[in-house]
Amino acid sequence: MASTSRSNPLEEDDDAEEEVQHFDDFTLASSWERFISDIEATCRQWLADGPKNLVEKGAVAMEDSKNLFRVKHDLKDVAKSYCMEFYFQIENNGSQQAGIGNWNSNSHDLQLCFGVKDFLLIAPQSASGVLLDTPESSKLLSSVAIALSNCGSLWPAFVPVHDPSRKAYIGIQNMGTVFTRRFEADRIGSQVPVKLMHLEGLYELFVSKFVYSGVDFSMHNFKVHFMMRLTYQTFPYDEEDEENDMDEIMNDKADSAEHYGSESRNKVHWDDDCPWSEWYSAEDPLRGFELVVTWADRTVENTLEMAELENASPHEAEKGEPSHGKRIDFASQLLCLVEALDMSFTAQFMDDFVSVENPSSENLKTSVVIPPPTVLDRVIKDLFHEGSKLPDFTKGEHRLSRALKAAPLESLFTQFCLHSLWFGNCNIRAIAFLWIEFVREVRWCWEETQPLPKMPIDGSIDLSTCLINQKLHLLAICIEKKREMNEEFLDCIGSEDSSDASISMEEHDKVDKRINTSSEADLQQRKRDSSIAEDTSNRLRFERKTEHTNSVNQSPTDAIRIGSAGPVGTMMLLKSRQRLHAPFTQDPPLMTEDMHEERLQAVEAFGDSLNVPGQLEKDILLSDMSAFKAANPDAVFEDFIRWHSPGDWESFEPKTTETSAGSITDGLKDEWPPHGCLSQRMSDQGNLWRKSWNDAPALPADDQKPLLDPNREGEKILHYLETVRPHQLLEQMVCTGFRGSADTLNQTKFGNMKQMTSKLEQLYLIIKSTCGSLQRINLLDRAKTVSDLRRLCVAFEHVEKLVTVAASLHRKFLDASRLAQVIFSDFYGIYAPKMGMNSNDEENKSSTEMEVSRQEVTLRERQVVSNLFSPPSANQSWRKVLSMGNLLNGHEPILREIIFSTGDDVNNGIHYAAAADVAATSDRKGEEIETHRIHKDVRNMSICCYCFNVLLMLKEVGTRRTRNERSLSFRTS
Amino acid sequence: MGSSSGQPEFDYLFKVLLIGDSGVGKSSLLLSFTSNTFDDLSPTIGVDFKVKYLTIGEKKLKLAIWDTAGQERFRTLTSSYYRGAQGIIMVYDVTRRDTFTNLSDIWAKEIDLYSTNQDCIKMLVGNKVDKESERAVSKKEGIDFAREYGCLFLECSAKTRVNVEQCFEELVLKILETPSLTAEGSAGGKKNIFKQNPAQTSSASSSYCCSS
Repeated sequence: MASTSRSNPLEEDDDAEEEVQHFDDFTLASSWERFISDIEATCRQWLADGPKNLVEKGAVAMEDSKNLFRVKHDLKDVAKSYCMEFYFQIENNGSQQAGIGNWNSNSHDLQLCFGVKDFLLIAPQSASGVLLDTPESSKLLSSVAIALSNCGSLWPAFVPVHDPSRKAYIGIQNMGTVFTRRFEADRIGSQVPVKLMHLEGLYELFVSKFVYSGVDFSMHNFKVHFMMRLTYQTFPYDEEDEENDMDEIMNDKADSAEHYGSESRNKVHWDDDCPWSEWYSAEDPLRGFELVVTWADRTVENTLEMAELENASPHEAEKGEPSHGKRIDFASQLLCLVEALDMSFTAQFMDDFVSVENPSSENLKTSVVIPPPTVLDRVIKDLFHEGSKLPDFTKGEHRLSRALKAAPLESLFTQFCLHSLWFGNCNIRAIAFLWIEFVREVRWCWEETQPLPKMPIDGSIDLSTCLINQKLHLLAICIEKKREMNEEFLDCIGSEDSSDASISMEEHDKVDKRINTSSEADLQQRKRDSSIAEDTSNRLRFERKTEHTNSVNQSPTDAIRIGSAGPVGTMMLLKSRQRLHAPFTQDPPLMTEDMHEERLQAVEAFGDSLNVPGQLEKDILLSDMSAFKAANPDAVFEDFIRWHSPGDWESFEPKTTETSAGSITDGLKDEWPPHGCLSQRMSDQGNLWRKSWNDAPALPADDQKPLLDPNREGEKILHYLETVRPHQLLEQMVCTGFRGSADTLNQTKFGNMKQMTSKLEQLYLIIKSTCGSLQRINLLDRAKTVSDLRRLCVAFEHVEKLVTVAASLHRKFLDASRLAQVIFSDFYGIYAPKMGMNSNDEENKSSTEMEVSRQEVTLRERQVVSNLFSPPSANQSWRKVLSMGNLLNGHEPILREIIFSTGDDVNNGIHYAAAADVAATSDRKGEEIETHRIHKDVRNMSICCYCFNVLLMLKEVGTRRTRNERSLSFRTS
Repeated sequence: MGSSSGQPEFDYLFKVLLIGDSGVGKSSLLLSFTSNTFDDLSPTIGVDFKVKYLTIGEKKLKLAIWDTAGQERFRTLTSSYYRGAQGIIMVYDVTRRDTFTNLSDIWAKEIDLYSTNQDCIKMLVGNKVDKESERAVSKKEGIDFAREYGCLFLECSAKTRVNVEQCFEELVLKILETPSLTAEGSAGGKKNIFKQNPAQTSSASSSYCCSS
């Protein structure tokens, strides 16, 4: 090819002339000359523009490369059209071998093979894009070379040759006026000689090409630089599952017929310990990882070192899978629940959906599935008989969980809702069946006084939860109270009197007398009489009375004290020289939301108009007073006020109570009785408190009529549950279902992934706002609410998917959370923009595949990464036979790229070779990379060119299992 | 009520809660506001409740004001009334220092514990300013407390009715400015559950047509 360099001066002269004349005469020019001129004009244009202008003019950035750009120009020869492309890099880091120096994956194949930076590529615009015969290719290359040297450009130019599958190129580069550099690469696909399967062999091959054959190169000390990059791919994670599935179906056909509760089988899923596994098993979103291992510039046969990890492609549902288009997760089931809500407006009672006669159920029956009774039994058993221990109600709770009008995750109602999501296909009929059975079971607990499972039996009713949960909580408390009463009844069967009395607090005095005569001394009765006499008392009379009681109270009356919780500090009674005792009191009655509402309406209707204030809690005050009287038989109204409302007792004593108390213990009798009077408002005429005091019988809390009548309240609650309107039930189920599902997802351990945390928070906020409007639902905006809820399901689905990915990543990178985080945030970056899309679009859903970019692996994380590659099973390891070494836990790299280079002048003379070994990965066609070696000896002023190609090909066989088909041949030119 | 079924009686229903130590004048304040009278009332037993209709701007408001007892014994009982309140008024007696210190010791904590409404408007009211000579808590201290806890602040006297109206009106205005609270209190939704049905609504709209 020396001819091309020789022809250069001539062309240059012509060129100079033309430029001067600014006149092109092509009348006599051959088509070839015109072709050259065309190329030249384009190259001049590109040269003149420079990279920056080209970018501005619309050069196309190469995919996955930040700084490699391409411009295109179409050329026409007589017979054929060609396409000339100029690849250039914007970033100038001074190195000619930018692509190789840091071996980033973004480099173009040709950059990697030949170590060039900017280059021209000319290819015919045929279907294959490859020149088929040698004359044509050399003609084309010559044209480019002439054109380039006319322009004085030093760009290397390449043309493809041979069969396209060989990806062979020849190239030329003008190195100034004297030299040209030639490139040639080829790939031959047949058997690989064993020798070349190992690095030693390749090294020897390289060196033998570099020096002249026959020389004993082992005697020479060549500085051969070596770089290698290996790509490993993990086995698909779902592989084992599939196998197990097969076994499962083979082994127990009986069980596999039943879909429900399949998680209880011994099948091992990746997400077995994830919170959602109780309900369904998610497909592992991570299909595999690719690990790219790079050996930086070093000498041959070095130790294994991992420098880069290329992450995995978290694929979503793959085409052709049985579950195609039919996801099973919370979001899908919640959507069913929303549909059920929509249906629920058509009936008055839940029973209507079950009964056969109902016309509305006719059209329902066709589409709905009711699970067999065995499944129903199983769910009920799970709800009611599994574990009597009280669950932790804060489990899984998000900061925002309580803002939702639902119930805690572990509570009975939430568990019911979650079960109904998976019961049948969560249609209204299935829900109705389950609900009726649920209520039946609740009633059984009530009738049999059995504790309600998964519900606390104490505490106050949390009004922020949904009404059914409040009701169930109150019912659980009622059952507990009923049980206590039964026990007491059994304990003291003989004392029927007192239990009778406890019912009739209203008939105070008469009844009181009867009871008290049996249990208390007459003295106490006298006290009461005297306090009745105080009915119209004012302060003056009180003073007198104190004197009176003082004298009466000579004998201690402690013996008849009942229901005392102990003395209050050192407080003394006013009329009796005794300690003031605090009584045991009844708990204030518990009320559910609707009870509050009822009372509010009652007060609004009557209380306000009659102007009778303070009636709401009068029974509580009465109960307290009765208990106080029982605990302090000698007490007067003032004593009660001193204990109950200290602010309304104005003490006359100058000293603090402590000192006066101290003096009492010292026995200074002068200090007793305490001096003081009731506040103005307490001593007013017709004071309600005093009236109440006079009405209150002395009764310890235990003997009082309970403020909360468990029998009555319990029955009321069951009535509510049995007659709840379907849409009211469904509304609460929807809210609770969403919260329960969200709380379940919230339990997922995904480490410290900020996007996930904030996404979950957003989810709660969306649920809150959507379900908030649900509580005010009416028939008119029902359609809107339902469509809002459907949209909420979509949002839920996205978050659910993200959680699955995050969890999967987290568990795979437990000891390298940084990696999990960066990979996740990368995934999130790709996924987040898609979240706006409606996933009802099936096509979009099924074919989404996502590749996540590479992440750097630090030294510490290497072990974790290598653990990802579990040792292959026996049937997988057959390929080891052909392996080249560098196995990672028995995994063979699917791609080997090796570059040898040598040279004593870094800037100018570089001798290198690259050997690559490529496997088909995600691309099914199979991709290949050729290897080249170029040698230029600057000092000898001579040019020689070698090339060889090594190709190892892997073909994808079956379901992502790869088999090696290797071939290598070698040739020199 | 029956005649007005077509048109809602009010646009918003707000729930307001009065809390504070026993004897600071919560009930008197409420009475002073709802019926323009002052009376030395009996101590509240547990919880009391008053309704007041207000018109602010174009909007008809119904205020349901819950008056709680300050006694400790009632405190567990009244806790359930915090829920759903759009406004909470903390009252203290400017002549009794302990009623002021108890605000931070007790009442502010109660709010944190029982109120689930994040946006709920809090208001600090110093009552009994008519007894200026007995004053034990300065206005500045009140302001400082209000600043710390993010409340509205006003001093008033239920007896002389100084600032009583303003106290409730300012609270309501603030609630109206808060979208999440107005949404909750919006009459449309709440009433729909119980009282309104489509037939009524349609008759309402048709009557509108006729009148216009």
